[in-house]
Amino acid sequence: MNEHIHTLKKELKKSIIGQEGMIEGLLIGLLCDGHILVEGVPGLAKTSTINALSSALGLTAKRIQFTPDLLPSDIIGAQIYNPKDHSFSIKKGPLFTHLLLADEINRAPAKVQSALLEVMQERQITIAEETFILERPFLVMATQNPIEQEGVYALPEAQLDRFMMKLLVSHNSEEEELHIMRKVANKSFQVIETVLDKETLFSLQDALQSIHIDEELERYIVQLISATREPQKFGLDISSDIMFGASPRASIDLYKASKARAFLRGHSFVSPADIGYVIHNVLRHRIVLSYEARAKGMNSDEIISKIVETLPIP
Amino acid sequence: MNLSIKDIYVKHNLGKFLCLVSLFFTLLSSLYASDFDYHVEVDKTNPYLKESVLLTFDVNQSNHDMVLLFDFDLKKSESYTFQRVDIQEKDDYHAMQIRYTYLIYPLKKGSITIAFALKQKATTDESVAYSFSGDRDNVKGLVTKDTDILVPPLRLDVKALPKDTQLVGDFTLEYRIKSHQAKAYEPLPLEITLHGQGYPPVLPHLLPKDTLFTSFTEKPLIKSYATITGTQSTVTYPMALSHDKSFVLKPILIKAFNPKEQKSYLLSVPQQAFSIAPIHTAQLLDPVDVPPSSTVDWSWIAHLFEYLLLFGAGYFTAILSQKYPFWRRSKTALTHPNPLRQKIAQAPSYKALLQLLLAQDSQVFIPTIERLESSIYSHPIHPSHTSIPLSTLKKEALEQLK
Repeated sequence: MNEHIHTLKKELKKSIIGQEGMIEGLLIGLLCDGHILVEGVPGLAKTSTINALSSALGLTAKRIQFTPDLLPSDIIGAQIYNPKDHSFSIKKGPLFTHLLLADEINRAPAKVQSALLEVMQERQITIAEETFILERPFLVMATQNPIEQEGVYALPEAQLDRFMMKLLVSHNSEEEELHIMRKVANKSFQVIETVLDKETLFSLQDALQSIHIDEELERYIVQLISATREPQKFGLDISSDIMFGASPRASIDLYKASKARAFLRGHSFVSPADIGYVIHNVLRHRIVLSYEARAKGMNSDEIISKIVETLPIP
Repeated sequence: MNLSIKDIYVKHNLGKFLCLVSLFFTLLSSLYASDFDYHVEVDKTNPYLKESVLLTFDVNQSNHDMVLLFDFDLKKSESYTFQRVDIQEKDDYHAMQIRYTYLIYPLKKGSITIAFALKQKATTDESVAYSFSGDRDNVKGLVTKDTDILVPPLRLDVKALPKDTQLVGDFTLEYRIKSHQAKAYEPLPLEITLHGQGYPPVLPHLLPKDTLFTSFTEKPLIKSYATITGTQSTVTYPMALSHDKSFVLKPILIKAFNPKEQKSYLLSVPQQAFSIAPIHTAQLLDPVDVPPSSTVDWSWIAHLFEYLLLFGAGYFTAILSQKYPFWRRSKTALTHPNPLRQKIAQAPSYKALLQLLLAQDSQVFIPTIERLESSIYSHPIHPSHTSIPLSTLKKEALEQLK
């Protein structure tokens, strides 16, 4: 494994116990300039992970709690009138940061979600007539709570597509929870120190370009994505379960995420296992199930599993 | 009625007197505040009871160095009722001009006073700009300095109406009777509509009081709108009459007074005779749907046995399922093997097993996946690693499943 990545993971483990999947997902997002959607019940160290990552990388981190009365100007900023000198000044919102935790993104109405997702895509913010380019790296980790569905504004598919990966975070194991409990009770969590700087992070992003991916695997990625659109072409009897398959953005993200996963494992090339590790995270929010599939109680993970199970690996 | 001095001189004596009173009142009420002036005007000062009086109230900003806003209304009173007809606003920069127009209807005869509520709201350009700046969904409240302005009340001398007058204004009456024949107790719809200009013609009752028939009434349907010439109203009274024998509806007479022409007139519905066909009460009984009961109903015993049978079936099923495992479906279900376990056991090759484990998206299989990978692709990181038998890897995966 890359020495820097090893150091970073070691530093993060000082305050984050378990949740390797979430940490790895965040690192993939950071290396690929992608954004992460996290689904999980409250209290699974989402805020702590973002804070730990920002401290370890010397980056700024902010958190926005999305609520139904939130307005676009609350997150992007606004022009404020100053009566003393009769002038307008710009007050920047919390989106001006490196790492952003958008907590419970589906609690805010569509206009706020759109404002955030536009910034995620364009990486620039326009207030009044002034446009600000966001400083790199810019990573949004948005969360959704799967257990409370009353009074929420579900993210439309087109907007979900802008998230590189959707991670499902579950509770820690009993051993890990015991460890957390003791550490919190004894206040024995160590302080996270800055172990990498921005320049090193950028060099790691550049290093990702040198990870080799065989043409056969590139074709395998494209076939996996095609199978979500035309499953019958690959001998899959799931056509009636899928309303819409994954977009071209999914192929790009799966390609990038596989490379990042190989890099995190310390490999110089991508293997089918790297694709298999990330495919569920990359595709689960991009496949729209049909009414029939939802009535059967299916989820997109089952569809992805069937595709992986059926398509022969190179 | 805004009269010039020239107009006053050319009028007859009574006209001269009334105009002088109006002019006097106008001048008296034109008081000037420091930042603005106001002007009250009425078209008459001695109306009849319930005759409309048109009132205009003008506010003109005189201090052009500040931003002024106004709140104006008449104070409510039992002596009169009023309707706001119009507000005309000319909000030039620092020169606000507003004209409020009201229709007032005096409700008491003699001397009554109309009271006003005027509030001056002073603010600044900065405050206005601030209240409109930023997000359109986030408009800030306008900060104003409010001052209550004392406006002298307006006195009206209200003349009494001729005796027994029920309506004031110029109205017409229309009535509609669908039929003059009906069976006993069948309703006979009757509709009376009053239409015209004046005090809204809403009367508590229209039908004569000492009647033998039964009357059914609803709330009148009122359509009314105020203009500067008066209030236009259409009031419809829907009713129905019913009786068991023929009857006569006496004439309905409504005495009205037109204040413009200063004369009384009568609105009427002439006498109406209704012919009722009697019905024999024996014919009203329903011999089909409610036949007389002739036998004793024993069906409840059959229902009781049904309930007892269902209860017994449930009770004994529960006892049997506890005693004999044959009855327990859940146990049967538990004996089914895990399909993944079967699939792992039947995987024909390394690649098929790798594919199967990757499809599970589970962290528990990561060690096996890595060993499988090195077996298939001769991982360069572990060059010394020899191929592990497929059966060993299957066994390992099955153990991770537990």
